[in-house]
Amino acid sequence: MLWLHLLVNGLVSGCALGMVAVSFSLIFATTKIFHVAHAGVYSMGGYLTWSALRHGAPEPLALLIGIVACGLLGALIQKLLYERLARSGATHLVVLIASLGASAVLQNIIAGVYTSNVLRFALPWADRTVPIGGVLLSMTQIVTVGIGLATYAGVMWFAHRTGLGKRMRAVASNPFLAEITRLNPRDVHVVVVALGSAIVCLPGALVPLDLGLQPFGGVPMLLTATIAMIAGGVGSISGAFVLAVAIAVLQNLSLLVMPGEWSIGVTFFVFVIFMLFRPRGLFAT
Amino acid sequence: MDFFYSYIALAEIYVLLGLSTNLLVGIVGIFSVSQAAIFGVGAYVVAYLLMNTAVPFLPALLAAAALCVALNILVTLPSLRVSGDYFVVTSFGIQLLATAIFTNWTAGTGGAAGLPGVPAPLIFGQELIEPGAFLGLATAGMALGCLGFWLIMRAPFGRLLRAIREDELAVAALGKSVLRAKVSAAALAGAFAGTAGGLYATFLSFIDPSSFDLDASILLLAMVVVGGARTLAGSIIGPFVLLALPQALALIDLPTSVAAAARQLIYGVLLIVFMLFRPQGLLGEKL
Amino acid sequence: MARNRRFWLAGALAGACVALGAAAQAQPIRLGAVLPLTGPAAVVGSQEQRGIQFALLHANAKGGIAGRQIEMLFEDNQAKPDQSVLSFNKLVDLQGVPAVITGFSGPTLAMAPLATRKKVLLVNGGAQADPLAKASPYLVNTIPVLAGELEVLANYVLHDAGKKTAAILFENDAAGISGRDDFAASYTAAGGKIVAQEPIAFGDTNYRPVLLKLAAAQPDMLFVILTAGVSPLADQIRQIDAKFTVVGNTFFSDPEVVANPNAEGWIHSQVLINAPDSLAAEFKKTYGTEFDFFPKQYYNATNIVLACVERLLKEGKPLTGENLRAALFAIKTFDGLTRVVFNNNTADTQVNINRMQAKTDAIIKVIPPKQ
Repeated sequence: MLWLHLLVNGLVSGCALGMVAVSFSLIFATTKIFHVAHAGVYSMGGYLTWSALRHGAPEPLALLIGIVACGLLGALIQKLLYERLARSGATHLVVLIASLGASAVLQNIIAGVYTSNVLRFALPWADRTVPIGGVLLSMTQIVTVGIGLATYAGVMWFAHRTGLGKRMRAVASNPFLAEITRLNPRDVHVVVVALGSAIVCLPGALVPLDLGLQPFGGVPMLLTATIAMIAGGVGSISGAFVLAVAIAVLQNLSLLVMPGEWSIGVTFFVFVIFMLFRPRGLFAT
Repeated sequence: MDFFYSYIALAEIYVLLGLSTNLLVGIVGIFSVSQAAIFGVGAYVVAYLLMNTAVPFLPALLAAAALCVALNILVTLPSLRVSGDYFVVTSFGIQLLATAIFTNWTAGTGGAAGLPGVPAPLIFGQELIEPGAFLGLATAGMALGCLGFWLIMRAPFGRLLRAIREDELAVAALGKSVLRAKVSAAALAGAFAGTAGGLYATFLSFIDPSSFDLDASILLLAMVVVGGARTLAGSIIGPFVLLALPQALALIDLPTSVAAAARQLIYGVLLIVFMLFRPQGLLGEKL
Repeated sequence: MARNRRFWLAGALAGACVALGAAAQAQPIRLGAVLPLTGPAAVVGSQEQRGIQFALLHANAKGGIAGRQIEMLFEDNQAKPDQSVLSFNKLVDLQGVPAVITGFSGPTLAMAPLATRKKVLLVNGGAQADPLAKASPYLVNTIPVLAGELEVLANYVLHDAGKKTAAILFENDAAGISGRDDFAASYTAAGGKIVAQEPIAFGDTNYRPVLLKLAAAQPDMLFVILTAGVSPLADQIRQIDAKFTVVGNTFFSDPEVVANPNAEGWIHSQVLINAPDSLAAEFKKTYGTEFDFFPKQYYNATNIVLACVERLLKEGKPLTGENLRAALFAIKTFDGLTRVVFNNNTADTQVNINRMQAKTDAIIKVIPPKQ
């Protein structure tokens, strides 16, 4: 039965990873910015939600405060940093280094304000467990799956059914054309980064609800999510989400055949080989 | 004086490594974030050969350099098939894979606990154990690297590499072999990184995976960018500045509860300010 | 730069003050500390730093040693070996310190050969990996390495608690690997059986996959060696409804873990270090954080170094690393927050076996230090 436990655990982690991948995919597909500071926004979301809870806000309100704050933070980074860099004609390398700098700034603001110790939400309901099909799941895990699937569905709806979503995809597929048809890519970029940042607050709060808050926890998560996005095909929301779940499941199931220390190495090994044979991803558009 | 000697020796080792990164990232435009992994392979190979076999220092260093040449060609090969951001992510993957191997292949690398007691280099019967003595070796290594870099930049080969970065298709259309040029550049970068690794291991006498992880690769990129990409002077000044930065930041008096975070925060702000206002670095060409 | 010049001047004077005794009275005594003050390891590094500062606060408030104030020069090594070597050389060459306090296995092992060559006393107050015991004659560990502590623990869980099979969850770094090897060696030598083991990366708190795998081996007990994230571990162990007893070492002594109801019934070895309530309260008032294990250890380690300094000044000997080392072994037994005995480079201290019950960390067995 170990395989069943690991499979279910992988599916749950995959939903959280999927939210990060989808949010990053929105941003990357539209702006083409390798937005490493997204990891900092992810961590910030968790800490802000935690603070709101500590000040007496009920859970849904605390999460909402986190979401709005993350959205604003994302818009700010796009406006103050990436837009200026784009205006000065910065190359990918320059933008990446600046984003790494922004990531370091966010993480260390957190470390300075909240210390680097692992903080716990310690909400009594989150710790309760429910047996489902022979597997014990905590309420946090169940909520994560629910919100994860809802987020995926919501983003799909937004991208394909709303006017703004269609504009976003138009800008993503051809910025020059978008410019002359007055879709105004710059405004679309700000909105998309804000939206992606707001979404990443969800896993940013849900994962620490389960595992505890840490200022430096976002980077490994973001890198794995990036791999899911690229392997799924840039621009494909389903690709990013499905691959994120698949990677998390594989990492869990790999424990059946090898010691845990190799699971990350194997993930990246498979990815590097994969890139050689399918450099455009599985569901490339 | 040992402090200055050891600072200069370490900085010189990083210059060699910076040249390797500058060659790939700045000159050819292969955006690799896994040079610390190659550096690590060089360090572990030299450490292993000196500790477990009778191979003397210079042949061990040559062996490390040769292996790193092969390995660097292998890890930059994906850049022929995937480009831009896709290669960056592949390169992140290679770096994390390398860290996993350094950390977990205990028999070869000593694992996460590290490898203490790497012997000092023995050259012409002289054991270069004191920083002052080692400095000569590090300086020679760096001088050779700089000379090689300078010569290449002046040669037609250097112009070909720059042209590839500007417009790969045009170069191919002119009948030049892009493949051969990229492979040669990767080989040279590998040799630099491997040699730097060997020097690093024997200078410190202790190595562990923390010197060769993703953060180290990023620090290396920052050294090249802050110093100035594409120029020899930039590759030299970058490592000297960034290696001294933690030491310099330690001089700022801050209350201990926030000091740690505040210093790293300053580092992040510095990177952002540089990228916004001086993206060509201290002594570089515009990126 | 004025600051640097002052250090040069101090270095030059340090030589002169031996001969001039009285003239040097006002010169502060300079010691060094190399700790990770930035980066992920700074969680522990800054706690250690506060312990040292607290000890100096007390010593200087009492008027220093022989009328001289004590000054600690901190260097940040980011827990990296190359920055450690730079920091060490800076302290020893530029500022002429005779002793350097440090922690973390990797950085300490990187500095150990330098300590031997330069005859500088290197004091490790927090790292417990086994190679530290024999790294350098000039490296003293004011905390026992893991081998001793875990031998006590392995015998207790096997013979007193009757746990015949064990699984191991270890942090994948120097301390964790040493802990795994030491526990496994003592436990199997005493007749127990290790049925499974899994590593976890430092700072990774997603234990569930490895916990599920370890629980599937159905051990009587789980031996855990983690330096951070123990409280989330308690939550996850309860959530998978594991049947084994959780056993650990001193790293468990985190007030947050003790207060976590999910850690009820956990057993762990504990290197004894006690602070009177008044001292703990004063610490909390000064720094705003708890007087935890690491600040206590570094408070104690600093006082050991200061005791050696005091002895040298009393005897009128120059403050050198060599003399400090000799003084340390001459004094041999230090009664601070705990009794520390130096039979060799590594301290012997009292080790307790504790059990967490009703949100307290109750002592259930006492093993005194070897005299």
